[in-house]
Amino acid sequence: MAARKVMVWDLPVRIFHWLLVMSFVMAWLSHESSRYLDVHVFAGYSFFGLLLFRLLWGVFGTHYARFAEFAYGPKEVFVYLKSLLGKGLQSYVGHNPAGAWAIFLLIGFGLVLSVSGLMVLGGEEQQGPLAGVVSFDQGALWMEVHESVALLLLALVCVHVLGVFSESIMHKQNLVGAMFRGTKWVAGESATVPVHHLLGIAIVVALIAWGAVSFGGYLTATADKPYLPFKGPQLAMNDTWQEECGACHLAFHPNLLPARSWQRMFAEQDQHFDEDLMLDEDVVTELTAYAIANAAEQQKTEAAWEMQRTISKDQSPLRITETAYWRDQHHEIQDSVWAQNNIKSKSNCNACHMDADLGTFEDAAMKIPKPSTNPTTNSSKGEMQ
Amino acid sequence: MKQSHRFNAVMLCALLAMGMTSVVYADAVTTLQDEYRAAGAGPFSASAGEKAWTTAHKDAEGGPDRNCQTCHGTDLTKAGKHQRTGKAIDPLAPSANKERLTDVKFIEKWFTRNCKWTVGRECTAQEKGDFLEYLKGL
Repeated sequence: MAARKVMVWDLPVRIFHWLLVMSFVMAWLSHESSRYLDVHVFAGYSFFGLLLFRLLWGVFGTHYARFAEFAYGPKEVFVYLKSLLGKGLQSYVGHNPAGAWAIFLLIGFGLVLSVSGLMVLGGEEQQGPLAGVVSFDQGALWMEVHESVALLLLALVCVHVLGVFSESIMHKQNLVGAMFRGTKWVAGESATVPVHHLLGIAIVVALIAWGAVSFGGYLTATADKPYLPFKGPQLAMNDTWQEECGACHLAFHPNLLPARSWQRMFAEQDQHFDEDLMLDEDVVTELTAYAIANAAEQQKTEAAWEMQRTISKDQSPLRITETAYWRDQHHEIQDSVWAQNNIKSKSNCNACHMDADLGTFEDAAMKIPKPSTNPTTNSSKGEMQ
Repeated sequence: MKQSHRFNAVMLCALLAMGMTSVVYADAVTTLQDEYRAAGAGPFSASAGEKAWTTAHKDAEGGPDRNCQTCHGTDLTKAGKHQRTGKAIDPLAPSANKERLTDVKFIEKWFTRNCKWTVGRECTAQEKGDFLEYLKGL
């Protein structure tokens, strides 16, 4: 029987495959910087959604896409691998046994990666469907899982790609091309595979729509009303706090320092960074009570959780910018950036953090402004009365 | 007719109340200057206030000299800028900012804070009275 061109991978399988590759690459490239958490989360949800589709397609899909079609036992994998070394090279129209195992492992690790990502998002960021369900501490543990599984998955991808190339050479069959065109050269018997154009296009359309939902806000954002991809919890505000603290500097929300720091701050109000605040006793009482009730120990935000666990119990720092956590988070920012006249001071949080006034400091809610050409421009929004 | 008389009376009372309120606010400067006079200061001069406003004072720690313009800027109808934090300070001239010079407590608080930072001591009643005389005309 002469070899003929046969449709093996339907369009949904091919689109799933390449979109999965793209979302994995996108997630990998955006994982380093908190600034791009929105991109990372978009890629993660896409990745997860694609895998869930593949699970369904593995049951209800076309012949070679079904899990049952390539559910080979360990013995068959061993026999197949041995055949690669010897002469009796076995040929499969769909996945060969070794490739099949790689697919199952890739899907399995991909699902663990997705779920652990949701755990991290719910724990560390208190965002996504698991916000409030997973604690900050648990989120930190899931982060370890998420990172390890990501590395394992990358290693598996390498094995998969090596396998594809060696198979392509040994069987004289361009498998990468087959994953684009869907067709293979088959000499023996093969099943008939419909292309399923509509479903393939639907997957692409769904993903584009999901992208529009995720990033559309950036298109309508203005300088005064920036788009915040993640909204933090609504933190308690206090008018006196805003007025008294906000007169000279950003009214840093009390969740950024532990209660003992605020107690010291107001006990030493006559030497507040070399200035005598001269606040009335009743004002001090009100401000101290508000600060203590909303201090870092309440763990309402990621920053609060980090501050309360990283500041040693015998320390009560007054400057947020001198804490280890703050420094660690800002160590990559160069002096030239701090010196920009639209930033100028390290206390000027809202020059970059778009939700600084709210005290939430969400990961993706930040943007370093371009150096302004107008020397009098200042990005401080609140003003003294 | 009776009804409209009553209405007029109510309106008159409302107008009087509004007028009195505005008098009370506008009088924060008078109230303070009266206090300063009671403490032995006066008469107050806008030109003395203006001169003191721009007089430079040495920084005890050797930084650049300071005067009121360091933070409030040279044009008081425009926003100033906090020297250390860079935060914007609303215009000080009442013509540009109606809320200025209307709150006795607020004025005193900032006199004390800012005199200490700029001059290195609290200002005297005479100096404060002169400042107010100068600022209220802007």
